[in-house]
Amino acid sequence: MYWTGFSCRKGCLVVDQTALTKKLQKEMNSGIASLVLLSVLGQAKEPMYGYQIAKLLDDNSESAPLMKQGALYPVLRSLESSGLLESRVEPSVSGPPRRYYTITAAGRETLEVWTEVWNQTKSFVENILKGTGNV
Amino acid sequence: MYKTVEDYLADLKQELAGSDQATIQDALSDAEEHLRMAVASLREDKPDLAEETALQTAIDQYGSPAETAAAYAEVERRTAPGLSSGVNRKSRSFLGRFFGVYADPRAWGAILYMLIALVTGILYFTWAVTGLLFSVSFSIFIFGLPFALLFLLSVRGLALLEGRIVEALLGVRMPRRPLFGHPGMKWFERLKLLVTDKNSWLAILYMLLQMPLGTLYFSLLTTLFVFSLSLIATPVIQVVLKIPTVTIGYTGYFLPLWALVLIALGGILVATLTMHLARGIGWLHGRYAKAMLVTE
Repeated sequence: MYWTGFSCRKGCLVVDQTALTKKLQKEMNSGIASLVLLSVLGQAKEPMYGYQIAKLLDDNSESAPLMKQGALYPVLRSLESSGLLESRVEPSVSGPPRRYYTITAAGRETLEVWTEVWNQTKSFVENILKGTGNV
Repeated sequence: MYKTVEDYLADLKQELAGSDQATIQDALSDAEEHLRMAVASLREDKPDLAEETALQTAIDQYGSPAETAAAYAEVERRTAPGLSSGVNRKSRSFLGRFFGVYADPRAWGAILYMLIALVTGILYFTWAVTGLLFSVSFSIFIFGLPFALLFLLSVRGLALLEGRIVEALLGVRMPRRPLFGHPGMKWFERLKLLVTDKNSWLAILYMLLQMPLGTLYFSLLTTLFVFSLSLIATPVIQVVLKIPTVTIGYTGYFLPLWALVLIALGGILVATLTMHLARGIGWLHGRYAKAMLVTE
């Protein structure tokens, strides 16, 4: 099937593929970002601040990053207000003070559940995409 | 594009206008922390890098002010429902809830809407009736059809405008741009959709109904408020101006003090009830406007 430039007769919609892909990416990211950030902080041995986390994510992604670094911060804030993370602000030698995040006990429990949810979702989607399910 | 972090922050603040104050604070401090760190670290790796270039690279990775603002707005939207934020309902007593209506922006928004509805209602009604009549009478001419289409288009435009008013004053999310059609659609398809879409016709109905509704809202509100104000003013009139409260025939009767206090309290009660009524009507009207004006 050709998504772009297929001939459009009566009543069909012209599909704007890039916009749709962006939308899909955005919708997927909104859940994944929480899981990824929680997981990063779950593995961290020390409290981490935003730039450190963004850097770590960048180093780990092979292609272009999934989301802008700026989009990570509101997710960190929201995880904190849900009680999964906690943070404290510390002055830095150079530049503005940094907000250091650590995972809470509730955060660790949630991370375990979320990891399970992720594994289930992943294998489900992979099965469907491969067509190995009983269709 | 941006010479300093401050320039970026100023733009970000502008993009966030209208968001929760706390969100704006968070977004600005996060961006400042990140960008300063990023610039410092980029220049540590390459000492001969110009500060401006380093900032540009950092912003490219961080996201434009618009993108960043959108990310915060998205998270805010998912976590906290708009107008109800900041008010802790559970911990308040009945009296607190009853009189708390004076601190509720939704009640004041609804009152403003009910006052405005008289004016907009008359305008919408006039526009809709004139447009319909001219469309019908012009239909015998060759330019009748374009005129009718133009009228329908104007109705959609007014519906969008009304949506903005409803969203601002009644707190119901309404579309921000015309929803009919899709990018790349032919103009003929658009026109066909304009005529076949039931919301074009519902919008005309809405505009016609808005005049009686607006008149009702306006008179209800003014009557009730004037009534409550006159009750509250009764003690002042009798005690300060020495005018009897009740006059039967040629005889004026002065009421005892306790009755005056009761009447004034009654006035406050009526005013508060009117606020509640306005909030309720605002809520109902918001749902109704959404049903009539928004294309699913």
